[in-house]
Amino acid sequence: MTIHTKGRPVLLTSKRFALRSLKPTDASERWISWLKDPEVMGPLNAPIRKWTAQELMAHIGSADNDNRYLIGLFDLASKLQIGFYMVDVDQFHRRATFNVVIGDRSWWGKSVVNETRAALLDEFFNNRGVEKASGTPLARNFPAVFNYKAQGWRHEGTFRRQCLSVTDGSRLDQYQFGLTRDEWRAIRLEDAQ
Amino acid sequence: MSPPRAKRLLAEAANCDPAAIADDAAIGSFESWDSLAHLRLVLALEERIGRQLDPDESVRIETLSDIAALLAANE
Repeated sequence: MTIHTKGRPVLLTSKRFALRSLKPTDASERWISWLKDPEVMGPLNAPIRKWTAQELMAHIGSADNDNRYLIGLFDLASKLQIGFYMVDVDQFHRRATFNVVIGDRSWWGKSVVNETRAALLDEFFNNRGVEKASGTPLARNFPAVFNYKAQGWRHEGTFRRQCLSVTDGSRLDQYQFGLTRDEWRAIRLEDAQ
Repeated sequence: MSPPRAKRLLAEAANCDPAAIADDAAIGSFESWDSLAHLRLVLALEERIGRQLDPDESVRIETLSDIAALLAANE
């Protein structure tokens, strides 16, 4: 198995969660169960995966903390992992694309994404040279769309019939949301006042 | 004043009292309008108007006024 260790791992905390770059040893049956759960993977249009622990470990090992980050979300109280982010960084354009999975359904609707993504936006904008953040939720992933709007991201466009559904083969619409470093800093300033 | 049916729809989705929703309510303006409430709201809107919203319509739902306008446009 190849394990990339190119960049600096992420290690952060928010009010309720620890966020840290994952290691292959973080592979767990809990995480594997999320990949098989249609309600977790469906809104992302991700195929149901029946991975072994070895396959998941290889996937985690492919993140290099430079161009690709896999960052786990851990409940500070229980210490359990409840989800993860995949952040892809385009170094030349100083742009990061955020994807998140909250695998533990008991945390859905509890503002996990915007609390944790705020910590990540601070980190990537302030400490990792990123100047633009992007997200591309499916148009019918209404909770994700809500989260982008509630956090102040801008809807920059709609990709009509952009991708093929992994479940029924229909074509799906997708949005582009974006947030610049300056916009995020203005939001943070406003929140602090 | 916002039409009462838009406020009722939002209140049902957000599991709150319609009287607690301000006429200028918007995403982020009150806690119970969260991501799951938003999902319930859009699905309820679609059920009310009898069709799926297109992406240009659903992405514009940000305020109580937007909900009211969408309902009015689909009467």
